Amino acid sequence: MQSHHTEHLYKILVIGDLGVGKTSIIKRYVHQNFSPHYRATIGVDFALKVLSWDSDTVVRLQLWDIAGQERFGNMTRVYYREAVGAFIVFDVSRPATFEAVTKWKEDLDSKLTLSNGLPVSTVLLANKCDQGKDGFRNNLTKMDQFCKEHGFVGWFETSAKENINIDEASKCLVKHIIASETDILQSVEPDVVKPQMNSSKIPSCSACLKF
Amino acid sequence: MAADLPAEFDVVILGTGLPESIVAAACSRIGQRVLHLDSRNYYGGNWASFTFSGLQSWIDEYKQREATTDEPVTNKEQILENEGIIPLNQRDRTIRNIETFSFSKSEDSNIVEEIGALSIKPELLNTNPTDGDQPLQESPAPEQPELQEPQSESVEHQETTSESDQIPGANIAPNSEGGSTTDAEPNAAKVCQTESRKSITYSDIVREGRRFNIDLVSKFLYSRGLLIDLLIKSNVSRYTEFKNVTRILTYHNGRIEQVPCSRADVFSSKQLSMIEKRTLMKFLTFCADYEQHPEEYQDYKDSAFLDFLQSKRLTPSLQHFVLCSIAMVSKNTNTVDGLKATQHFLRCLGRYGNTPFLFHMYGLGEIPQCFCRMSAVFGGIYCLHHSLQCLVIDEDSKQCKAVIDSSGKRISCNYVLVEDSYLSEVTCAQVQYRQISRAILITDCSVLKSESDQEISVLTVPSEDGRQNAVYMTELCSSTNTCMKNTYLVHLSCPSVKATAREDLEPVIQKLFTLDADGGE
Repeated sequence: MQSHHTEHLYKILVIGDLGVGKTSIIKRYVHQNFSPHYRATIGVDFALKVLSWDSDTVVRLQLWDIAGQERFGNMTRVYYREAVGAFIVFDVSRPATFEAVTKWKEDLDSKLTLSNGLPVSTVLLANKCDQGKDGFRNNLTKMDQFCKEHGFVGWFETSAKENINIDEASKCLVKHIIASETDILQSVEPDVVKPQMNSSKIPSCSACLKF
Repeated sequence: MAADLPAEFDVVILGTGLPESIVAAACSRIGQRVLHLDSRNYYGGNWASFTFSGLQSWIDEYKQREATTDEPVTNKEQILENEGIIPLNQRDRTIRNIETFSFSKSEDSNIVEEIGALSIKPELLNTNPTDGDQPLQESPAPEQPELQEPQSESVEHQETTSESDQIPGANIAPNSEGGSTTDAEPNAAKVCQTESRKSITYSDIVREGRRFNIDLVSKFLYSRGLLIDLLIKSNVSRYTEFKNVTRILTYHNGRIEQVPCSRADVFSSKQLSMIEKRTLMKFLTFCADYEQHPEEYQDYKDSAFLDFLQSKRLTPSLQHFVLCSIAMVSKNTNTVDGLKATQHFLRCLGRYGNTPFLFHMYGLGEIPQCFCRMSAVFGGIYCLHHSLQCLVIDEDSKQCKAVIDSSGKRISCNYVLVEDSYLSEVTCAQVQYRQISRAILITDCSVLKSESDQEISVLTVPSEDGRQNAVYMTELCSSTNTCMKNTYLVHLSCPSVKATAREDLEPVIQKLFTLDADGGE
């Protein structure tokens, strides 16, 4: 049995204006359900999705919602820190949310880069594509061009309600993250201390360190 | 955007410094509806940390603001008959003087862009072509309040900034009314070079400027201190990452020495004689549970800790180690307080490493943000660059029942918490402030070289005449993400005594650092 089993943990940000469906997308993707009732997200930092990427790779995705509470775009650095990819979401039925996409992308790139200094892979999601998208239709042809200009690695029309394209979008993002990861030497920082409730991680010879 | 704000909250908090952020997290966590604002466009207030260019724009902004005056804004329309108002400051005056110095050499003078900078953000690319090699950056000093008024917090800062050529310029920190002392910030940067190492240039730092965060205030945490306990209990620690401070240093007899503090250190110390090792070991073992042996210190209860140390036959070096670097108290501190401080130090040893202190990765400025994230996750609403014009007080009950925000909107609430820099001098007349002089340096070698270039050190420099307070220095290495590779970020602070921070700190800086050519430590 080959034990070339590798596991990757990726922190992914899900960004976009209020009410574009960030939480619904996460719920659909992680919990396979959808609720039409809008509720601000309370008490949840991130949702975890485990993917069997190929026969010997497991990918764990931490999807970080910007809790509607940080709705004015004032996210803390804690939110961005160590993320390796992002979805930027807009609502095809509300053109203003598409206009905000550029702002979100710039904000993201100004606050977060990979350790090699490059921007993180970002996929654009045109959500609620099950709803009327008359206003958006015209732009479809321009979307590829838009993504190129603004540094998105791809874009998808999605619907959390109808479960359209969400898995595909995620695959696309993960593919790009893995590709860009190969050039980054994942330097695992040694000696980092994370205080915890029962951190009984005793240093090698605790007696020597104490009195 | 503020138009979207609900008109009613349980708690409105103004200021995103550490105390306010902790309260915000606590209130959200128990289900209160929290609105958390800051007039600044960044988190942390005087606890903030910045990228290199961010710090430069912050300094520029501060200088500009120093020149402007405050016009009180009041919007009477929304005030009812039986209501009074308390106007709030629209401008923070806690940091008053900032000076910056760059000790640069030769080379590059071209415009440098930081990696990953967005093309259009001139204010972020403040690349003063002060062509130089070594930049030094000075920064502000925050203060801790001495007295706290209920419902308010105080943080005092002073900063001094001036562009100077080779020699540190001086600055004056005006004294504030209502304050008891003055503060000044000197800035100095010094560089020492070792021949073998490629020197770091100013443009290098600008280019790498987004990879590290510089704190306005640097603090280490006791590994068993109250803040660590709070982080753990509140589960905010899931957002935090610390590094152990690796060395405790002291300045003694004109030299920097490493203080042996754990058992292993004492045994392996080369600077202590066998007898000193035994004496120190015995003494520290006693301190670890001194309450069990009252007879040992009974007679010295009312005398100075230093006298007690002498009575225990500690040699002058050992007295110095214990007093200045372990207990970190002054010569006049009484015995019991000295013992308590020593015990606390010892109890913190070994929890995470061989010194009692932890330093937060990416800087102290992360910690308020960790609490803010916790608050946001539990429903707190965050709005930066948004302030309050005034508090609305019910004349009968004398309670604050609402606030008017900077857009003129009235928001009713049950509780208000305001960082005290927003309160007027009149409101804070009873508060006594003290000020702290601070300096921040970027250097290219450690004050005490060792095998590793990744040491995190704390150094106490006692005052020469013993009359002033000691100067505390922290030196951070690049793995803390507070400076670029091959450089160190140094913070110095002491209670302000003289008119400027520069006067307070320059003598110590001259003792510890040298400009490039001299080599030295």
